[in-house]
Amino acid sequence: MILLKNGRIFDGRNIGAASEDLLLKDGVVAGRGKDLSGDGAEVFDLGGKLLCPGFIDLHVHFRDPGYEWREDTESGARAAAGGGFTTVVTMPNTDPVVDNPVTVEYLVARGKRAGASRVLPSGCVSRGRQGKQLAELSLMAESGAVFFTDDGSPVSDAKLLKTALLYTRDLGVRIMEHPEEPSLTAKSQVNEGAVSAASGLKGCPASAEVIDILRGIALSRETDSPIHFTHVSTELAMDAIRQAKKEGLLVTCDVTPHHLSLDETYVLVSRYSSAYKVSPPLRTRKDVKALWDAIADGTVDAIVTDHAPYHVDDKDVPFQEALSGIASLECAVPVVLDTWLKTGKPVPLERLLSLFTSGPAALLSRPWRSLGGLKEGAPADVTVLDLEAIKRVDVNQWKSKARICPWDGEMLQGWPVMALVEGKVVMNRLKESE
Amino acid sequence: MEWRHKNLISLEGWTREELSFFLDQTEYMEELLNRPIKKVPALRGKIVVNCFFENSTRTRSSFEIAGKVLSADVINWSSSGSSASKGETLRDTVWTLEAMAADGVVVRHGEVGVPDYLAKKLKKASVFNAGDGTNGHPTQALLDLYTARQKLGNLEGARMAIIGDVLHSRVARSDIQAFRKMGVHVTLSGPATLMPENTASLGVEYVSDAREAAGGKDILYFLRMQRERQEDGLIPSIDEYHRRWGATDSLVSLASPRAVVMHPGPMNRGMEIASSVADGPRSVILEQVRSGVAVRMALLYLCLGGVR
Repeated sequence: MILLKNGRIFDGRNIGAASEDLLLKDGVVAGRGKDLSGDGAEVFDLGGKLLCPGFIDLHVHFRDPGYEWREDTESGARAAAGGGFTTVVTMPNTDPVVDNPVTVEYLVARGKRAGASRVLPSGCVSRGRQGKQLAELSLMAESGAVFFTDDGSPVSDAKLLKTALLYTRDLGVRIMEHPEEPSLTAKSQVNEGAVSAASGLKGCPASAEVIDILRGIALSRETDSPIHFTHVSTELAMDAIRQAKKEGLLVTCDVTPHHLSLDETYVLVSRYSSAYKVSPPLRTRKDVKALWDAIADGTVDAIVTDHAPYHVDDKDVPFQEALSGIASLECAVPVVLDTWLKTGKPVPLERLLSLFTSGPAALLSRPWRSLGGLKEGAPADVTVLDLEAIKRVDVNQWKSKARICPWDGEMLQGWPVMALVEGKVVMNRLKESE
Repeated sequence: MEWRHKNLISLEGWTREELSFFLDQTEYMEELLNRPIKKVPALRGKIVVNCFFENSTRTRSSFEIAGKVLSADVINWSSSGSSASKGETLRDTVWTLEAMAADGVVVRHGEVGVPDYLAKKLKKASVFNAGDGTNGHPTQALLDLYTARQKLGNLEGARMAIIGDVLHSRVARSDIQAFRKMGVHVTLSGPATLMPENTASLGVEYVSDAREAAGGKDILYFLRMQRERQEDGLIPSIDEYHRRWGATDSLVSLASPRAVVMHPGPMNRGMEIASSVADGPRSVILEQVRSGVAVRMALLYLCLGGVR
């Protein structure tokens, strides 16, 4: 039994006016109120810090099985806890890929053994992630897959995507589409525009993202089945998704901390540091602004890290040779909060926090949808935030195996200081933050 | 002038004054090349390593001759037969070079950003970019500037057309930067499929029609055309390209009376340039090659401590 005292409680929608206590018992939320007594409970005084539902990250790469030198389920789950995320969804582009119930169960078991944040696997849409034939979606759902995605690649065959949407409509497990039209993005390295013009690096155009999204929207409309677009990075794409939502379609999307805080010019200013190489690429300043506008008007449903760890040998190489991806689990929350603070709080704090909590929870498969609210009886997943804390990002302290990160060495404000999963403390830096 | 640059990765950080000073230094170097005994001890005891991960004859020879005339010891580290072909990482190559006490590293690589990477990793040695992928070729731009200045005098207000495959051209990117810094007005021409999609961000104008682009210009710069562009489907045929954007006598006749024709070499005669133009009275293509040695001498001399 744990008693969290004096927290400003965010319940997924609103922040309480005054400090309250939260009692956690047998792994679930047991009570909320002023001056709760918790006889025999371990007591933590939060001193007025924000007490939130455990943060959820719908998009991480833990490289397990097959690329464990980059990350594995254990290092990833511990990195997630360190970064204040209590639930993460792993992507299935591993080796072998996660396209069958056995591999899903392997990952669930590995996640439990790690004893840190909750690891929920996603499975491939297509067998072998080849984009040709449906994978065993129903069986994977039964084994615990919470999303279906061919992430790393889109489901390029429109007929297959339509079939998958129909097949999953009543499963309660969504399709997550990596929006990209591959014929327009082959060998691309940076955003198409000023930076590709100046550098000669091949550009990835915004059209490649929006073309895939418009196709997905049309198929979602036709099948009446939900579709989720991940790591959306351009203004054009956001406009399309906003329009679809207005129409009442079951279309949702997420954005990443790096697309919310960095623009394409970092590639040039850093003189081609591979830390800034990511797919989709960093976009224009105007796109960054459009993502924040889309958060403000409710077009965005979640913030996801797309945590893409690499070994230093894969990443500490010249830009063009480097693999694409940014590892950020352990600094994503402060990156977003710091950007939000420095840009003059462009959206209400409640809205921003919902993108880590109630927003993503609503997109998970049915058993997990109660994760985003701290309601009595819900799993006791909690993330405590200290909005005042200022700390330097130091990759050498990371639990993740990644050691290259755009924010390494930067002072950021707004850090998670405690995380609990089912009533068990998985991260506690309350003392440091005093 | 106190020379403040240790490396030459890109001309981005060079001022117009520095470029002018550099070109003046190049003139002294060219005088040296005209002497019967072409050797001075300016860089005696310095080690320059030519690291060419991509084939190049003229640039490599030019750097090698430049180093040797100045009495530096020049070592050629080519990718074939070196550790690069055995899969050594560039990081290890860099540390090897550092351990061997190289003073200068000249690098040519097929990928953008490799000289930047080397410069970040090398603590002591100067790094000279001899061409990185489609990004830059700053010594080519310097020798182009030098050649143009020798022929036309002060370049301020001069007008230049760069014609051809700008999209894939490191020469075009560096030349745009260098000539604009010297006050030259730059116009690009070529098929839109071979242009960066954002030419305005480069500070230049683009016109599709080569005749319009060449009209009244003082410098006509023709870029190399690669056959693969046709295979990539970016142009319908080489013949069509030659007729619309190639250097022909009729196109060159539209330029200003004092105009010079430039090309970075090696030329594909009959593709981007007709022989009659390449060997014609306006062509300064061989002067460009000659300037290359003097420019690289000035670079090694200034950056490896000749003045300090």
